[in-house]
Amino acid sequence: MMQPRRTSPLSPLVQAAPALPAVALFLIGPGSGIVDRTGLPLVVVIAVAAILGYAAFVAVAWLAWWRRTFWIDDDGDLRMDSGLIQRSARRLQLSRLQSVDIVAPFLARLAGLVEVRVEVAGSGESRIVLRYLTRAEADDLRARVLESARGESSAQGPESTPLAQVTAGRLLVGLLLRSVTAALLLATIVLIVMTALTQGPAGIVLVLITGGLPILSVVTEFLANYDFRVARVPEGLRIRRGLLSTQSRTIPPDRVHAVSIVSPLLWRRRDWVRVTVTIAGVQGDEVRPDVLIPVAPRAEALALVAEVLPDVDVDALEFISAPRSARWRAPLTWRSLACAITPRIIATRSGRITRRTSLAPHARVQSVRVTQGAWERRLGLASLHADVAPGPVEIAGRHLAEADVASLVRVEAERMRRARTS
Amino acid sequence: MDPSPDAFAPPAAGWIPVSPRLATARRITLALEYLLVVAGGVAIALSPLATAWLIAYVVLAAVVFAWVWWLIGRRVSSFGYAERDDDLLVVSGILIRRLVIVPYGRMQMVDLSAGPLDRWLGISTVQLHTAAATTDATIPGLLPDDAIALRDRLAARGEERTSGL
Repeated sequence: MMQPRRTSPLSPLVQAAPALPAVALFLIGPGSGIVDRTGLPLVVVIAVAAILGYAAFVAVAWLAWWRRTFWIDDDGDLRMDSGLIQRSARRLQLSRLQSVDIVAPFLARLAGLVEVRVEVAGSGESRIVLRYLTRAEADDLRARVLESARGESSAQGPESTPLAQVTAGRLLVGLLLRSVTAALLLATIVLIVMTALTQGPAGIVLVLITGGLPILSVVTEFLANYDFRVARVPEGLRIRRGLLSTQSRTIPPDRVHAVSIVSPLLWRRRDWVRVTVTIAGVQGDEVRPDVLIPVAPRAEALALVAEVLPDVDVDALEFISAPRSARWRAPLTWRSLACAITPRIIATRSGRITRRTSLAPHARVQSVRVTQGAWERRLGLASLHADVAPGPVEIAGRHLAEADVASLVRVEAERMRRARTS
Repeated sequence: MDPSPDAFAPPAAGWIPVSPRLATARRITLALEYLLVVAGGVAIALSPLATAWLIAYVVLAAVVFAWVWWLIGRRVSSFGYAERDDDLLVVSGILIRRLVIVPYGRMQMVDLSAGPLDRWLGISTVQLHTAAATTDATIPGLLPDDAIALRDRLAARGEERTSGL
């Protein structure tokens, strides 16, 4: 199906590049101080050693590159043989494909190269990372992997329909107006004013923390989610994002276990929301696969949710709200606590300042729990939890009337039973 | 559908309790932990502190011991499980009550375990795992034969009804 190939011959150089500053330091650092007093030999020795060491490093990287080959075999599995002395043969069953990501780290991008990550369901050796391929090779490999995963050799033609896009301006405003960020920034301004008024230096340290943390998080998220685009492709939804390193990731809709629609207080006037998802088998690693859209108008975001959870109308959910007695247990948030069960999904709502609506199809709920603390019992309340795969989404209907929870848990157990067979 | 307002109401077949040997095991553990408390008492007795301190210490330790002893009994008798046609129910807890319902089709693994003390007393723990890490379905204090039979039944039903991830 495909001849064994190597990654790009430039790969060892890109991999060895991060060590260059250290080498340069060795050449300049000790040399500049000693050159006058002890004369040349020591400088030369250090320089030669550093260069030889680096050469050896590059040579090993190059040999490792030479010995690493990858291909898709006749069974439709992705194979990778690697290792200098200890050879290893890795094999991914592509019929269990979870995701193919193309990532362009900064250094690789300078050389015009990208990294391809292929992940399948299951534990242990479930991923192959290929560093580095040219863009064309990567696209070709991705097409082959996806083709092999679908078990058909359809004519390729990456027909994709753009669904959503986040402009830089909206992303920045959205990030700045997130509840915690906005609160910390406000605290910083107050601190600066107070420090200026009292002329005391004590506030400076605090300002660094309250101002530094949110700015750091805004910058990180901005770089990661810059030029965020979602498009529909035959395999699911393709997400592309990133400024310094571009990531491209495909979410197969049948891998989405739970969805959370989040709206911070300061976004609500603009009617913006953020959508996070829990995807089976993939946990929030550096790729952060858990954001479906970082900030979008509500209608646009709900359209995306409908892509991964068809036939779900979030606005038509009939929630059962927490009773008035819940205000003694959750004085701030009790008005927003609620739970709804439809024939297809279970949904819960929570949060006052940052409001969250989380939902999961019954077929994805692994178990359902009821908990009741001593205080809840006194108030006639109980909490309902639907356990889903690990991820950013939590489905919990807290502090609802005990009678409601009793009937909800019965309904949910019944729905879970039926959802399994379909 | 039964309109019972109690979320923890037992199913038609009732709850199956766990062995009271679990209480014995936990009380032995408590007694062993109390060796540290006794050591503290000895330290006070040897120190130049007034005898009143020692008496207060002993009384307090005894009260706490009795209370935890009693609590263990109640906690163990609060455990119960029920096998329904399609799912397993587990209840537990007195201060914080919990009920978990795991459909057989969602089980990924059934663990059977017993520590040295458990083995000596003849009890085992059965724990169910699903794809969700938050599923908390543990049944401690089962007689070994019951535990093995339960595990095998659960595994068989799980296989029958498995619905993949």
